[in-house]
Amino acid sequence: MSVRIQEEKSLYDKLNILSDAAKYDVACTSSGVDRKNDGTGIGNCQAAGICHSFSADGRCISLLKILFTNECVYDCKYCYNRRSNDIERTAFTPDEVCSLTMEFYRRNYIEGLFLSSGVMRSPDYTMELIYATLHKLRTVHNFQGYIHVKAIPGASQEWVTKLGFLADRMSVNLELPTAEGLRALAPHKSRESILKPMRLVQNQRSQNGYELVTYKNTPKFVPAGQSTQMIIGATPESDYQIVKVAESLYQKFELKRVFYSAFIHVNEDKALPAKTGEGPPLLREHRLYQADWLLRYYRFRADEILNEKSPNFNVLFDPKCNWALKNLEYFPVEINAAKYEVLLRVPGIGYTSATRIVKARRLGTLDFNDLKKMGVVLKRALYFITCSGRMMYKTKLEEDYIARNMLDHKERLPAGVDGMTYQQMSLFDDVRFGGGSFENRISMQ
Amino acid sequence: MKTVYQCSNTVTGIFSAIYDGWKERRDEEWGIKIKEDGELELFSTYVEVEENNRKVLAVESMIKRHLGYAAYWDIYHAALSFDYSKGNAIAETILEARKLKDSKKIMEHLSNPSVLKVFALSRNVGGEAHNLTGFVRFKELQSQILYGEITPKNQVLTCLAPHFADRLPVENWMIYDKSHHMLVVHEAKKQWVLVSDEELKIEKTLQFSEKEEEFSRMWQGFCKSISIASRENRRCQMNHLPLRYRGNMTEFVLS
Repeated sequence: MSVRIQEEKSLYDKLNILSDAAKYDVACTSSGVDRKNDGTGIGNCQAAGICHSFSADGRCISLLKILFTNECVYDCKYCYNRRSNDIERTAFTPDEVCSLTMEFYRRNYIEGLFLSSGVMRSPDYTMELIYATLHKLRTVHNFQGYIHVKAIPGASQEWVTKLGFLADRMSVNLELPTAEGLRALAPHKSRESILKPMRLVQNQRSQNGYELVTYKNTPKFVPAGQSTQMIIGATPESDYQIVKVAESLYQKFELKRVFYSAFIHVNEDKALPAKTGEGPPLLREHRLYQADWLLRYYRFRADEILNEKSPNFNVLFDPKCNWALKNLEYFPVEINAAKYEVLLRVPGIGYTSATRIVKARRLGTLDFNDLKKMGVVLKRALYFITCSGRMMYKTKLEEDYIARNMLDHKERLPAGVDGMTYQQMSLFDDVRFGGGSFENRISMQ
Repeated sequence: MKTVYQCSNTVTGIFSAIYDGWKERRDEEWGIKIKEDGELELFSTYVEVEENNRKVLAVESMIKRHLGYAAYWDIYHAALSFDYSKGNAIAETILEARKLKDSKKIMEHLSNPSVLKVFALSRNVGGEAHNLTGFVRFKELQSQILYGEITPKNQVLTCLAPHFADRLPVENWMIYDKSHHMLVVHEAKKQWVLVSDEELKIEKTLQFSEKEEEFSRMWQGFCKSISIASRENRRCQMNHLPLRYRGNMTEFVLS
C-alpha cells in the first residue's frame, strides 16, 4: 500500500469538503413520517417535513447533507468525485458524523441526517461504515430525528436490509433515465445493480407492512419510503421518455418521489455534452417537476402530458396549461357543479383550492370573488371556468386567443425563457433525431 | 347603539370579550376592539372587559363542543394574529355558525367574509409558526441551556412550544419573542411555561458556551458549501426565506 503524506484534517475542513461533495445530490426532503419523541432522547419527525434554511441557490436545507467519504473506486463521467478527478479526499469517522448531527440538531439547524457516500474499497465495505454510523446514532445517542440514507449500488442484500431498519428513507440513484445512458456515462454501474436494491426495498416494505398489522411493535422498515434521482440533460432523452420513466417508477416500484437534477458541468469529458455557457437546463428541470406533480397529485397519465409527436415541454406554458389548451373540448367547467377530478384539471386551480371549492359550495353558491380569496389563480383560470353559468369576462374558447392573452400578462416567466427570443439555427435542433420509437426500459427480468 | 368590548391583545382578552358579548347582547349589535388599536367607531359605547380564566375556559369549551376541534384550532390561531380586526372576525364567525344546520361545518363556509377572515388569519399565523419551527436557532449558553430568539409578527410562541417540547424533551431550552417580550421556558423532562418579560431584559445577561462558536462556524461553512454556484438564485431564496427572519439566524449573521 502506498503511504500518504497528509496532515489530519480538522472537522471543519472535513465538513466543508464532504458537504461540498454532497451538494449535487438533489433530495433534501424530510417528509413522510410522523414520529413522536419517546421522552428519552432527542428528535421527532413531522410528516409534512420542515425546511430549516435555504441556500443561495434557493434550495431548501433540511438535512445535514454529507458524504461519508468522497473517496470513490468508481469513475462515473458526470460525477465530481469520480476516481480520475484530482481533488482533496477525506472521510468522516462514525463518531464525527454522530457528533455533528447531534449538535446541529440540538441547535435546530437541521431536521436530520442525509448520508451518502463515495465507494470506499467496495460497496459492502462502505455500507458497513454507514451502518456503523447510523447504528451508533440511533442506539448510543438515541437520535429520533429523520435519517435519509443512500444505498450504494452493488451492495449486498443483507446490508440494504439492515440499513433499512435504521433509516426513515432510503434511495438508490437511477442516475440516468435510460440504460444506454448509464452504460455510456457510468461504466461501473448497471441498470440491474440499481433496480435490484430498489426492488428489494419495495418488497421489504410491503412485507414489513403485513408484519406491522400482526405485531404492532415490529421495527419499521424505511417508513418514509424510497426515492430516486436522475440527471437531466447529460444524455439525449426526450422529456416524454423521462416522464414515462418516472411514471413507471411510481407504478412499478412504488417510489415516493423521483427527483430530477439538471446536468451541471463539473468534468470535462468527451462522453458528456459540450459546455455551452448557458448553465444547467433549469427550465427543463422545472417543467419536469411540474409534470411530476401532475402524475402524483392531479391524476394525469404520462401520455396525456406528452406524446411521441410532441415529446418535449412547451417553454412558455406549464404542462397543465398546455394540456388544457390542447383539450379545449373539456371546458368551460362550472365551478358550482363540476366534479373534483374535473376541477383538478383547470389551470389555476390546485388540489388544495379544488378541495376548498368542493366543500364551500355545499354551503352556498360561489362566485369569482370567493374563488380569488380561496387561492385560485384567476388570471389563469378565468378562460376555463364559469360560475353559475357565467364567465368572468367575455372570452373566446380558442387556443390562439387564450394563449395570446395569457402571455400578454407579462407574468414573470421562469428563468430560461428570457434567453430564447432569437436563436441560431442549427442542424441538430430537431430533438427527435435519435430515432422515433423507444420502449419503456424500466423493467426487471 | 352598538356596544364595543375593549380587551387586551391576548387570547384571554379576546375570549373574555366574546364571553361578555355572548352573554349580554347575543342578538344585538356588538363588536370587539383590541386596546392597542387606536381606531374608534362612531355611535358606539365602549365597555372595558374584565378578563379572567373562567370566561376563557367557558368560551373554549363552547367552541370545541359546538363548532368542533378543527374550528377551534383556526379560531385560536386567528386570535394570535397581529391583525386588530381579529376580534370581530372571530365573534362574527361564531355567530354565523348558529345559522348553519351543522355548526361544525363553519370553517368550510368560506363565502362568508368573517369566516374567510378567520381562515386567512389562521393560515397566516400557522404559516409563520411553521416557518419558525425550522428557522429558530438555538445557541448554547454556558449553563448548557439552549437559547433562541425570534421577532415574529404574530404571537406564535404557544404554537412553537409544544413542537420543541416534544422534540427536545431532555434539554433545557427557552425561546424569547423580542416583538412581544414573551418567553417560553422548558426545563428538561418538565412542562413548558410562558413568561412575560417586560422587566427581565434577558438579552443582556447571556453568556455563550465555548463550543458554541465552533459549531456556528461549521454551520455557516456548511450553508455556503452546500449551495451550487451555477444555480444561484437569490430571488428564490428570498421567496422561501424572507429577510425578516434572517436577523436571528446563525448562518446569516456575521460573527
